[in-house]
Amino acid sequence: MENLEDLKILAEQWSHQGIEYLQKIPPSQLYAAIGVLLFTTILLFLSIRLVTRTKSNTVLLSGLTGSGKTVLFYQLRDGSSHQGTVTSMEPNEGTFVLHTENTKKGKIKPVHLVDVPGHSRLRPKLEEFLPQAAAIVFVVDALEFLPNCRAASEYLYDILTNANVVKNKIPVLLCCNKTDKLTAHTKEFIRKQMEKEIEKLRASRSAVSTADIANDFTIGIEGQVFSFSHCCNKVTVAEASGLTGETAEIQDFIREYIKP
Amino acid sequence: MLEQLLIFTRGGLILWTCKEIGNALKGSPIDTLIRSCLLEERSGAVSFNYDAPGAAYTLKWTFHNDLGLVFVAVYQRILHLLYVDDLLSMVKQSFSEVYDPKRMAYDDFDETFRQLRMEAEARAEELRKIKQLGKPVTGSVKKQGQVLKAGLEGGNKRVGEGGSKKDDGDGIKGKVSNLTNGHHSNENHKLGDDSQEGDLANGKENTSSNVAVDLSKLQKLRSKGVRGRGGVRKADSIGNKSSKVAAAEPAKKATKKNRVWDDAAPKQSKLDFTDSVDENGNNDHVEVVAADQGESMMDKEEVFSSDSESDDDDDDEPGSDEKPAEAKKKGWFSSVFQSITGKANLEKTDLGPALKALKERLMTKNVAEEIAEKLCESVEASLEGKKLSSFTRISSTVQAAMEDALVRILTPRRSIDILRDVHASKEQRKPYVVVFVGVNGVGKSTNLAKVAYWLQQHKVSVMMAACDTFRSGAVEQLRTHARRLQIPIFEKGYEKDPAVVAKEAIQEATRNGSDVVLVDTAGRMQDNEPLMRALSKLINLNQPDLVLFVGEALVGNDAVDQLSKFNQKLSDLSTSGNPRLIDGILLTKFDTIDDKVGAALSMVYISGSPVMFVGCGQSYTDLKKLNVKAIVKTLLK
Repeated sequence: MENLEDLKILAEQWSHQGIEYLQKIPPSQLYAAIGVLLFTTILLFLSIRLVTRTKSNTVLLSGLTGSGKTVLFYQLRDGSSHQGTVTSMEPNEGTFVLHTENTKKGKIKPVHLVDVPGHSRLRPKLEEFLPQAAAIVFVVDALEFLPNCRAASEYLYDILTNANVVKNKIPVLLCCNKTDKLTAHTKEFIRKQMEKEIEKLRASRSAVSTADIANDFTIGIEGQVFSFSHCCNKVTVAEASGLTGETAEIQDFIREYIKP
Repeated sequence: MLEQLLIFTRGGLILWTCKEIGNALKGSPIDTLIRSCLLEERSGAVSFNYDAPGAAYTLKWTFHNDLGLVFVAVYQRILHLLYVDDLLSMVKQSFSEVYDPKRMAYDDFDETFRQLRMEAEARAEELRKIKQLGKPVTGSVKKQGQVLKAGLEGGNKRVGEGGSKKDDGDGIKGKVSNLTNGHHSNENHKLGDDSQEGDLANGKENTSSNVAVDLSKLQKLRSKGVRGRGGVRKADSIGNKSSKVAAAEPAKKATKKNRVWDDAAPKQSKLDFTDSVDENGNNDHVEVVAADQGESMMDKEEVFSSDSESDDDDDDEPGSDEKPAEAKKKGWFSSVFQSITGKANLEKTDLGPALKALKERLMTKNVAEEIAEKLCESVEASLEGKKLSSFTRISSTVQAAMEDALVRILTPRRSIDILRDVHASKEQRKPYVVVFVGVNGVGKSTNLAKVAYWLQQHKVSVMMAACDTFRSGAVEQLRTHARRLQIPIFEKGYEKDPAVVAKEAIQEATRNGSDVVLVDTAGRMQDNEPLMRALSKLINLNQPDLVLFVGEALVGNDAVDQLSKFNQKLSDLSTSGNPRLIDGILLTKFDTIDDKVGAALSMVYISGSPVMFVGCGQSYTDLKKLNVKAIVKTLLK
């Protein structure tokens, strides 16, 4: 009790002293001091906002034309692929909570999913979205894998050596689609084939020229056969089936990098 | 009967298909339509033909650019359905009322569609009936000068007179127009009126177009005669060849004596500067330093300034304002107003002047006229009905759309990584064969040497095959290049069959383990039937991995003709089921054009194949890759 009273008296004394001190200072100086204080706090606040970039929630669905990206997009969004799809001419974008998570309670952070057309003439569109991507899902047709193997590996190589992907260490999921069909290849087979093809690409692309024509960076370790574990960003493999709605592995991947 | 009618978004989701007509389509016509027509900027075309084993379809389409929807109708080609365009526009109108971006299923549209289809079919039936009645008179319209046949109705009389009106010109125009006005009031069936008007217009168009075609044919023949090189008709070319052979013989008998001018003593006794070599010989006299001129420009990064980008907008405004100033003044204020509010829907009339200006600009950059026209139609089709976003002028929207379209056309459809293909062939232990084709004088041999130099720099072993057995000095030219680059050359001299020479060259390459064989062919005009046949034989016999068309950047409208005829001849004269067409383009003499880079666009558009190399000089290092962004910027500057 006494301590409290003592403290009270002390506080009163200090406040009196402070007020007397303040009244001694000429008003213009006071205003100037307050102005500077405000300014510095605002500056500090802004710089903190700029430095800690808010984590983007964009996931890109890319892959060759006909691999099933648009079907997967609608599966993830609505749970069904509606009446079918045709070759996309424009990207499909949407910010939403994944369909299977609709039933979960509570506020879940929505995902900004972008389905980029795979047709080679529309390749430049992918570069528009790469800077803001937090994760990339590269969809491969597991059914018609071998005829398209070279084109798919070239596309994947271009993505893995892109400046944005390397600098920001964007994780990539190699998703083997159409696994509901009997003759679809396994994900292990596809992974090995892609690694082999990328190894060949590495040799031919970074041959003699000092200026690498198309690619900004090279991947893999010199002298060793390329493997996805050599990439600085994480590359994983998964299976999915767009038509039957088996997209669990993709959803896990998305949620791993975009916290709900 | 309609096979199928589809509505889908530009993003690829199918919104509605007609469930009444349950036929499954054979093959994949829709995907093919998108890939080879809509994405190739040919959406201005009227229809698209698709052939699959067991079916021949024709597809027609329309866009709703504001909502981003595409409406496609598929029907059998043998049935000429007239009501499809009508039906498509009606479906577009009624669907856009129902459309909601959140909805994915539109089952209630079935009913609306059925009604619309019945209406359209009924209208087509009426049109057909009236046409059948008018048929006996259309014969008279075709006959020029035969005027009036006693028709069945007054309307038929009008058709006959209309025919004569076109023939005689301005003479009886006044009289006929009076008559037509009179007939207007007499007609009681409005639809019949429209159809007859349409019929009249069609009849006129047909005959006038017939006349137009004849005139153009005549002009073509005349111009062919003027074009002296290479001969045109079969008889001509054969005549040329025989006359050449005949000329060779008498020349041997009476050699020409040098004319002596004034008192000057003949200075040069020997005008022949070729080195003393025998047919297949090596020349030991001259020492040649192996050509090493440093890095080929293929491997160098292209540096172009990006600060000219800001100048583009400034240049754009005064440029476009200089053009039709009067019509623009009034339109400018309203367009500015519209750009601020940003609510206007783009109509054809709005797009008209902007597209016209753009077309003119493209043509000044040496783009072929046909191509510029088709491109503008395609851009128009993709912009019509779209809402202007706020604070944008019509011209800038059109510009952005055209830029998009140009980038899309010039972006290669397939990979142009030759080194990768070479490595793939290497694994299969067979040489990668490249054939250079083109018209005379475009730079095939020069650029062949440049490509060989570039490949050598990438540690690929190259072999040249001299299959130009016609032009004097061709084999020597290649021999000189081969010596300088220190690569083997396979030659058989002159007057041999190029196809056989190429075949033997490839066998030789397989034997000595060369990775790449570069085959040089003689230049030939695209109309020269026997030479095109010979080329086709060479390609069929040897099945090369890459057929490279060499075209010069100086070519203007002829690029369209060259490429389309080459492709056509290659596909017509091919013996196998899968004809080999032109796989890539090599653009030469690029350093001679400053900014008139339109030839690249014309060639890529008409053939669909990408530009793989660009030759920009006469030394070995002057070989570049095509920089799409730089070209697009130059074209639209």
